[in-house]
Amino acid sequence: MNMKTMNRRRVLRGMMGGAAVSVGLPILDCMLNTNGDAFAATGAQLPPRFITWFWGLGLGEQDWRPKTTGANYELPPQLQVLKPLQKKLNLFSGGQVFLDGQANNTHFTGVQGHMTGRVQAAAEYYGSIDTLIGDVIGKGTRFRSLEVACDGDPKACWSARLESGKVSAEVSPLALYGRIFGAEFKDPNAANFIPDPDVMVRKSALSTVTEDRQDLMRDLGAADRAKLDNYFTALRSLEQKLAIQLEKPAPLPSCTVSAKPGDEEKLSTLAVDAMKTHDLFVGLLTHALACDQTRIANLCITQGMSGLRKEGEASNHHTYTHEEPIDPVLGYQPKAAWFQALYMKGLFDFAKALDSIQEGDKTLLDRSILYAFTDHGAPRLHSVLNFPFITLGSGNGRIKVGQHVTTPGDAATRVGFTMMQAMGVPLSAWGYGSNRVTSAITEIMA
Amino acid sequence: MRVTKLLSRGAMMVLPLCLFSAPSFAETRGYVIGWFSTATYNDFQNNCPLDKNGGGLKLRLRNLMEIGYSEKEALEIINGTAVNLSPDINKRINNRAIVNGKPVPVPNYPEAVRDPMIESVTGKYAYGFDLGGKSDQSKFVDPDTNEKIDNQLWRAVGCTESYRATPPEQPYPEELSWATLIDTAPGWAIYLTGENLDKDGPVTVTTDRLLQHLERDANGKVMPFGTYVIDPSPKSHNVFQGEIKDGILTITPSKLYMKAQHPFYLDIALTNAHMRLRHEVDGRLTGYWGGYLDWQRYAYMYTSRPANGADYIGLYHSLRRMADANPDPATGKNRDISGTFRMEALPAYLANIDGKVIAPAFERGTKPEKLASGQ
Amino acid sequence: MKMLNNSKVRRSLLVAAGCLSLVGAVASRQVFSADMATAAAELPLSVRLSPSQYRQSIIDIFGSSINITGRFEPETRTDGLLAVGANKANVTDIGFERYDDLARGIAAQVVDERHRAALIPCKPKSAATADDACARAFLSAVGRLLYRRPMTENEIAGQVKLAGETAAKTGDFFEGISTSLATMLVSPKFLFRYKTYEPDPAKPGQQRMTAYSKASQLSFLLWNSAPDDRLLQAAAKGELHTKQGLFQQVDRLIYSPRLEAGVRSFFADMLQFSDFETVSKDSAFFPRYTLKVKEESVEQTLRTITDHLITRQGDYRDLFTTPNTFLTRSLAALYKVPLVERTDNGQPQHWQPYSYQPGDPRSGILAQSSFVALHSPGGRSSPTSRGKALRENILCQVVPPPPGNVDFKFIQDTSSPTHKTARQRLTAHATEAMCTGCHKITDPMGLALENFDSSGSFRTAENGADIDTSGDLSGVKFDGPAGLFQALHDSPAVPACVAKRAFAFGAGRLPQTSDAQWTQIEASFKDGKYNFVNLLRQIALSDLFYSMPVQVAAK
Repeated sequence: MNMKTMNRRRVLRGMMGGAAVSVGLPILDCMLNTNGDAFAATGAQLPPRFITWFWGLGLGEQDWRPKTTGANYELPPQLQVLKPLQKKLNLFSGGQVFLDGQANNTHFTGVQGHMTGRVQAAAEYYGSIDTLIGDVIGKGTRFRSLEVACDGDPKACWSARLESGKVSAEVSPLALYGRIFGAEFKDPNAANFIPDPDVMVRKSALSTVTEDRQDLMRDLGAADRAKLDNYFTALRSLEQKLAIQLEKPAPLPSCTVSAKPGDEEKLSTLAVDAMKTHDLFVGLLTHALACDQTRIANLCITQGMSGLRKEGEASNHHTYTHEEPIDPVLGYQPKAAWFQALYMKGLFDFAKALDSIQEGDKTLLDRSILYAFTDHGAPRLHSVLNFPFITLGSGNGRIKVGQHVTTPGDAATRVGFTMMQAMGVPLSAWGYGSNRVTSAITEIMA
Repeated sequence: MRVTKLLSRGAMMVLPLCLFSAPSFAETRGYVIGWFSTATYNDFQNNCPLDKNGGGLKLRLRNLMEIGYSEKEALEIINGTAVNLSPDINKRINNRAIVNGKPVPVPNYPEAVRDPMIESVTGKYAYGFDLGGKSDQSKFVDPDTNEKIDNQLWRAVGCTESYRATPPEQPYPEELSWATLIDTAPGWAIYLTGENLDKDGPVTVTTDRLLQHLERDANGKVMPFGTYVIDPSPKSHNVFQGEIKDGILTITPSKLYMKAQHPFYLDIALTNAHMRLRHEVDGRLTGYWGGYLDWQRYAYMYTSRPANGADYIGLYHSLRRMADANPDPATGKNRDISGTFRMEALPAYLANIDGKVIAPAFERGTKPEKLASGQ
Repeated sequence: MKMLNNSKVRRSLLVAAGCLSLVGAVASRQVFSADMATAAAELPLSVRLSPSQYRQSIIDIFGSSINITGRFEPETRTDGLLAVGANKANVTDIGFERYDDLARGIAAQVVDERHRAALIPCKPKSAATADDACARAFLSAVGRLLYRRPMTENEIAGQVKLAGETAAKTGDFFEGISTSLATMLVSPKFLFRYKTYEPDPAKPGQQRMTAYSKASQLSFLLWNSAPDDRLLQAAAKGELHTKQGLFQQVDRLIYSPRLEAGVRSFFADMLQFSDFETVSKDSAFFPRYTLKVKEESVEQTLRTITDHLITRQGDYRDLFTTPNTFLTRSLAALYKVPLVERTDNGQPQHWQPYSYQPGDPRSGILAQSSFVALHSPGGRSSPTSRGKALRENILCQVVPPPPGNVDFKFIQDTSSPTHKTARQRLTAHATEAMCTGCHKITDPMGLALENFDSSGSFRTAENGADIDTSGDLSGVKFDGPAGLFQALHDSPAVPACVAKRAFAFGAGRLPQTSDAQWTQIEASFKDGKYNFVNLLRQIALSDLFYSMPVQVAAK
């Protein structure tokens, strides 16, 4: 496809003229009706997903941190748009990236610290948490991960493999559509089923433990026998889960092919245009996740130093964060806050799109962790203190939701480490120097 | 020890101090400086009625017009730019200075481009000290002391957008650098010695650079009560004779030199250095340092890091025009400018390189040691 | 470092493999008679490994470079210890999945390219096919360490078969090894310690603990970990049933550097350090209490304890008054003491020894943040919680819980203009008759610690009012923390308590204090100037420690 010939108007036309107008996906009721029970009983068979979502330049100075922690806290003004999903959302505040003698290369060092655990000389960026998580939950899907950037900069994204570094992002919704739903797309609901050999091995291995049962039980007293009974009940429960995985899976009820976006216009520097691209990406990624084409997605609105503008104003978001005085009454920079609000609306739309897809007894959002992060704590200073992190969804019940957790003075890496622990990455510690953490945030571990 | 240390220093530093006889001091309080920047007086409307300077955007506009674009063309370029201007335009802006017939980088040769004549402060008030400046016209009034004072530095920079800061905010370029450097650059210490620092009387004020950077607390602020080792180098060691009167500590004017670190100031080097400090009830030490400083070294903070949202060329020329002391005998141009800095210090234990604590952190209330010996 | 560990492990695995033939397949399953089995219903004889025992065992067997992604089932506290609560611990559905995740994670690392050369004592004929001989050598050696006894021939054959079948299915020898190892790591034989008994040939009609159970009991007491190869050898040879043989092994274990891990685990359990997971302080009031400081405060106490009890071989009671401790600069800032570190800028902080001046109220482990902060709510200190913890954790006494309908309005209002200090608030609260009784037990001790705020920082005033730190402990009156600590030091209940807890940590139950053997252990603790290591030795050498629980034996 020749990208130069596309224009935005045609993208929108494509969407409007296409089969599906709304981003929300139709749920095939017949499938749910047939398989609803099976889903409910064996929820574990539907996979967790991990999605990162990056916005530049933080939330506000100090004012955004809610006064109370735990559940039922008051969302700060910047996040009010997310209120309908507050019960599925966690907010983390207070964490910082420790520089350990390195300079703060603004827009880079902070993310380098909390996404890779290691602050080091500029341009060294390897092993972001999404790729480590992908190695655990993302095996066997068609795409190891999908990366998109909404501002047209393929370098804007923060996903990096441990061995090969930064992954470049797709900037065209049309091109992404081609990658996902083009000729190579195979409808998972129609595909022939081949049982996972790994699962077969695990299941038969567990059965050897069960074979010991009689031998183990023989000489025990009643209390010990009761304990062992509990043990074998637990073991059987896992065996059953594995057995279900060896059967032809229930169809992915929410997997449908996305509408094809039209051609696109040349890049604009207006924030609202970037968010339109964002919405197109959200639609495509949501379909891709529902069809289990990937379990890892990374979306970036802009690079950290956002050059997006509000229509009619020449200064961009980044310039405002530097130069706009902090309103003494509001406690933040009002013009910069306009951008933050716009981005957060985008985050809400993404979460809402995921939440509108029912997968058995949960929504796609419930099965996911949508992990929103930024490059700076206080925007005006470009500080690496008090980073906001927002997660939506429980990752298939792996984390608790609805919480505000604040850890002032603690390493921000603890948030990413907690996500990795929740997703089963085999690490007992993560990070280097002062950014090293050895324990997850207990408040949200399920 | 102290005497040897002092004697090893240049005669300039030692001589004035020798005039004083050392009193038998009974109390020393140690602090680290947790916050330091140009003293702002944020009253933008009265300070800068023309509102002429704008921020980075106006700077970009001015720069584009300097290289030949019309205002309309320049605005079109700006609206179509995400973050950075195209490398070609940037190069033309950056290399528009001509020296010996060749284009050279503007930040390195600010004299080689036109003074954009940015607006300077015309308000009545600013913080500072009477440094003996002769021109009554250039005097401000200090809102704390009501005295006429010299602070041409504020006049030069105070109409820049990023200097519209009310404490605890600092001017943006300085706060950014300071916040970055706290975790990496060696900190600064100040300690006071006197008979009873809660009462009026003579005091010795000492400032030093530390060997370690400052630690942060759970709120990301500088942590009080840490222990730091003083850099044994005499370079940033300054001793002043001072006096507490009505709770305000001032010093006999002298010289001050504190090494700092780029991208913050290279150093704070003051002649005719004044201080006005006071103890806050929560244990902090706050106040002002002022004196004459080399305006070019101050300007280097902007020209060395031109992407800080400051109009580095405008500020450079503004500082040059406002310089009010130490004329060059050859050219007659002033080399120094009167200026004032605001600072806040927190209690800390200060040790010398031998590991001996020479200034304990001060805390109101009974010390545990005293409690223990009383039992 | 990692290489060293690996090669050490490798040696031990090789040795273990070598001596397998010597030992034979004498898996001593216990031999309960039918009526004994009924009696055992009274008290479980299987004990679930604690998270720390699980971790320590894996590290000791496979080396510290194996990552153990740590999520375990929650633990419960009984008789003051998680180690006793472990008797009743089960494995739930979620718990089993976690064990399964852990097991597969560990097994995959053991056979990965980085570790296999060091940890697997043989090379397969081909990496793509089964090799029963090599699988047998590895699995039987590892199984002996994991199960803490030699595997039976049946068990070995089963694991080798599983490894072989998996290798055939996957075309990968190491996948076979990994799969087989993972099943051993989720086996109840690894996850539970089974205490087994057999007829005592020396005392006809009586039961004795089997040699392998003795080996486990011993190593979990002293190392908080599984027996090593030499201890299993001693068990196999019957040496643990002889006085001299037992003595030799106890001595060896005590002089091992691994004793420190055991002592740390015991005190971490006794002092409730696992509760720190949920401790947080309001940073508006306690800005110096960072998470790093919280973690370091626990380490401070454990360092103080091991230094005093092991390195210095000190008197246990002096732990409560010792001026010696270890600090980092951040911790020193919390305590408001100077700690000079003459390192270059940018280097991480180091631990340094620190000694308070004689009589300083911050001396002793109970003045440390790990005690006073753990037993305080997030925003204020709590003399009652601290007093209760002193009674329960240090004196082994039981404080009844408050009744359900208490009005806490006086206690919680720290901004009261009339009740500025905790003492004033408690006095107002305790005039309510129903509260007085209990508060008399806890508060006179806890109030002496009011010099320490909720984070453990020192203070002499609260809300501008001077703090009164007078109090009493069982009639001994004192003023301030130092007085309280001296009173604890002098109280006979303090060493008596730690002796009981140490026994229970290893045995999983409290000692029968009326037993003559116990009286002797206590006397020897006293005569040995309350040397804690010596106490562990006396416990480890006593018959009482290995005896069948009375509830069971009496039947």
